[in-house]
Amino acid sequence: MYNFDFERPKSVADAVKALQTEEAQPLGGGQTLIPTLKQRLAMPSKLVSLAGIDEIKGVCKDDQNRLCIGGGTVHRVIAEKAMSEGFPGLTGLASKIGDPAVRNRGTIGGSLANNDPSACYPAAAMATGATIVTDRREIAADDYFKGLFETALEEGEIITEVKMPIPEASAYMKFEQPASRFPLVGVFVARFSDRVGVGVTGASESGVFRWTEAERALGSDFSADAVKGLSVPADGMISDLHGTAEYRAHLVGVMTRRAVAAAQ
Amino acid sequence: MKDERPDRTARAVRSPLPHDAATLHVTGAARYVDDIPVPAGCLHMAFGLSEIARGTITAMDLSAVRSAPGVRDVITAGDLPFANDVSPSAHDEPLLADGEVFYFGQPVFAVVADSHLAARKAVRLARIDYDAQTPILTIDDALAADSRFEEGPRVYAKGDADGAIAAAPRRVEGSMEIGGQEHFYLEGQAALALPQEDGDMVVQCSSQHPTEIQHKVAEALGLPMHAVRAEVRRMGGAFGGKESQGNALAVACAVAAARTGRPCKMRYDRDDDFVITGKRHDFRITYRAGHDDDGRILGLEFVQYCRCGWSQDLSLPVADRAMLHAENAYHLVDVRIESHRLKTHTQSATAFRGFGGPQGMIPMERVIDEIAHALSLDPVEVRRLNYYRAAAQSAEGGAAPATPAAPLPRDISGQKKVHDALPDDIASRGALGEVVEPAAGRVAASGEQTTPYHMPVTDFILHEMTDRLCQSADYTARRAGIEAWNAQSPILKKGLALTPVKFGISFTLTHLNQAGALVHVYQDGSIQMNHGGTEMGQGLFRKVSQVAASRFGLDVDRVRITATDTGKVPNTSATAASSGSDLNGMAVKAACDTIRDRIAAFLAEKDGVDAATVRFEDGAVITGAERYDFAEAVRLAYLGRVSLSATGYYRTPDIVWDRIRGEGRPFFYFAYGAAVTEAVVDTLTGEYRLLRTDILHDAGASLNPAIDIGQIEGGYIQGTGWLTTEELVWDAEGRLRTHAPSTYKIPACSDRPDLFTVTLWDGENFADTIYRSKAVGEPPFMLGISSFLALSDAIAACGPGYPALDAPATPERVLAAIQRVRAA
Repeated sequence: MYNFDFERPKSVADAVKALQTEEAQPLGGGQTLIPTLKQRLAMPSKLVSLAGIDEIKGVCKDDQNRLCIGGGTVHRVIAEKAMSEGFPGLTGLASKIGDPAVRNRGTIGGSLANNDPSACYPAAAMATGATIVTDRREIAADDYFKGLFETALEEGEIITEVKMPIPEASAYMKFEQPASRFPLVGVFVARFSDRVGVGVTGASESGVFRWTEAERALGSDFSADAVKGLSVPADGMISDLHGTAEYRAHLVGVMTRRAVAAAQ
Repeated sequence: MKDERPDRTARAVRSPLPHDAATLHVTGAARYVDDIPVPAGCLHMAFGLSEIARGTITAMDLSAVRSAPGVRDVITAGDLPFANDVSPSAHDEPLLADGEVFYFGQPVFAVVADSHLAARKAVRLARIDYDAQTPILTIDDALAADSRFEEGPRVYAKGDADGAIAAAPRRVEGSMEIGGQEHFYLEGQAALALPQEDGDMVVQCSSQHPTEIQHKVAEALGLPMHAVRAEVRRMGGAFGGKESQGNALAVACAVAAARTGRPCKMRYDRDDDFVITGKRHDFRITYRAGHDDDGRILGLEFVQYCRCGWSQDLSLPVADRAMLHAENAYHLVDVRIESHRLKTHTQSATAFRGFGGPQGMIPMERVIDEIAHALSLDPVEVRRLNYYRAAAQSAEGGAAPATPAAPLPRDISGQKKVHDALPDDIASRGALGEVVEPAAGRVAASGEQTTPYHMPVTDFILHEMTDRLCQSADYTARRAGIEAWNAQSPILKKGLALTPVKFGISFTLTHLNQAGALVHVYQDGSIQMNHGGTEMGQGLFRKVSQVAASRFGLDVDRVRITATDTGKVPNTSATAASSGSDLNGMAVKAACDTIRDRIAAFLAEKDGVDAATVRFEDGAVITGAERYDFAEAVRLAYLGRVSLSATGYYRTPDIVWDRIRGEGRPFFYFAYGAAVTEAVVDTLTGEYRLLRTDILHDAGASLNPAIDIGQIEGGYIQGTGWLTTEELVWDAEGRLRTHAPSTYKIPACSDRPDLFTVTLWDGENFADTIYRSKAVGEPPFMLGISSFLALSDAIAACGPGYPALDAPATPERVLAAIQRVRAA
């Protein structure tokens, strides 16, 4: 680690102010950022911890039937609340991220801001058509994710809330790389009264994406058979030591069908 | 006094006692090298590593390293006072690169600093320029460049394989890729050098081979071996990875300690451990078999391509052992095995549990499986058909008659005297010189079944073991049940496989089959025991202490186990080749018997009885006339001026081996085992689970059934890991990309089969080993082959083709195989 200053503001306003320093960086649960710092892969001048800001923690349902999750809410809490608010698909996702230590520290805001190509939440955000709320604006999921570790966030912008329309049925299926337990491919499927969303993480070289072809097919027939004949091209899929592009493309189809079956 | 019966005097052996340090292990009180309190002023070391796989160093700027905080010394090849070599064999492995680098991760310089962290930080400040050359990385690269060890391939043959295959009515042929394996010992490599007065050096090390450490340190310091003492209390796992790979750390620490006059310690960070040290050899093996309509193999030919890495290390004996296990448990009349030892710019592959045996064996099991598939036969039937004939007498019936020694039919040409033929690393398996004693050998009588290297097989018990295992595992009914289950399961497919193991026990470098022990009996009747073997978690010390206790008729708590120490027992062989308890148990027995006989003679004279009638049992010494508590007997013996300390020595009889000709009797006996594994495969993703495993393993008359079963469970799981999830990946530059648990997956508790039953075969060793037990370290590793073939069997249920699975069978490879068998 390199040296840095540390601040722990109590409000979003104070956090925004603290982040105005050059090379200052917000710190969510630290499950990615701290190891990154330890490996000296980042050199922020200042870390601004968001852990002390109560106003961005917690989960509730709004009048548009959206699950509103504070950006500083940890995975364990999301897993619990999503279940009681009628969104078991999100519970399934949040309860299988990392291990208990990660789930008690890591936050949804941190995960979405980092946009790791193998992170789980981006798949749910895309599939449900979530809205990412920051200290200064609201961003639709489709406009938010910009590639590997790239998002629409500006310098010093903080995710305060994520609003996810609660689907009638949903499920997340991931194929874990056995050593790290990160998804080699993860697919979130969400069925609404008027549409179906399919978000795919871990697979593509350009980050999380919506599999629109599958969405259309599932929109008219929400069954695993409806997507049986469909496949994503291997072109543009990640190929690395854990799996080839062809294998990942194949797994996208399998995980999608599994998620549909599980959601039914 | 001869007493081999497992009667009351021997109650300590056969007992399922826990590991001697079990309590220390689980409470964290067991001391490993890094736990030893160091004297004040101890310095810490780290290596700077090569960042290309092959090239010449054109410039090396270490000024920033030298001026980094806490750095006390920086050592390069030119600074080494004597030998720059840590090789266990051919003197081809410099401690520090000398102008040229041969693999990505090779130590180039060493830093000595006030702390471990300071040393590690400093090495990163080096600026090294290279003139890079294209590295030879793969088996294909090496073959194209004819880059190899030895002048050409080694060939062991019997009969006329080519003719037999040509004449056979049916044939199978193919090729198999077999991956390497990282040892992943929990305790990484570590050493601590403590300078003594007058230039002497003491080294605390995590090594299977303290004598090798002593020898290499002496060489590096220009000292005779008497000036260096190496000590090993225990290792946190080794698996062969600490037979030669600890040399570099021990030598570096000793050199630095001599330069600075201060204690020096080094341990590899886990990533560095992966990147620097050698692993299991990966292989490509092609096979060509001729067989008949019943599945009987008529002729068989293997070509083994072995990737050895940049230095010779132990590669020649590893590749030899792969050849020596190429037929596994099957009697082949016409057979030819060709072995290529390829030199590449990668880590120098080294010893790993099984020492080439597993790699040699698995293609044989593939051949059997493929023949069974082609003929639509149950593979178990094809195995039985091709097994060696059963031993003349079953194990339950007692020992087979000893085979008289007979001379070899002809002189072994080219044999030389020891001092001509051997390099000075005579205590390593990497040594090449071979001393053949023709009188000790024997050859097959006509009609006798022999291995491809012409050794008679007289102790074969796999027919009986297979029968019993099939029964206990309910093999036939489950085979039918799985077929029915698969017929109604379109997505998940189950598979079942039984595979046998026949593993040769002895060092193939014959002279290493010797061991020494030192036993002291103190005035209070307590006993301290020392021998040349090292403890790496396998329970050797417990087993040997049980032997010592049994010889004196005591409970094991009277026997103190002490650290392996080259100052107590010299000239030891590595604790390797599964030989630990065979060799050291016998040496300890000899030492104990010497002391016992002295006490018996003294008390017999005192009581006026025949010494042969004196018994040591139940904590007492009974002369007939009197019964003495053991401590009292010892006290009297001491007062009577009887020596209560003795050395013991053992050398394995009846072995002789010519590795160039591929002829002789390299093994004292064979250890056997068989496993049945049931697996289920997800045909959509290639994922799989092990459902049930039944193992029947032959540990002879086990010295300690609890420890032996633990070794069998661990061996099977480690073998399964090798063939399933453990995948090593190098990139095009020769950089190892799997260098941490985040990328390299060893099996965990949750990966073991849901049902896991291990049973010991109830026979005893036909050969005269310590209490008729058998070695158990390596043989169970190869039981993991049953997992691999269970996966293959499940894949075969998906379509008409033969799976021809490569190892490791990662989910992606399994899926590809499913697609292949469906397309066939």
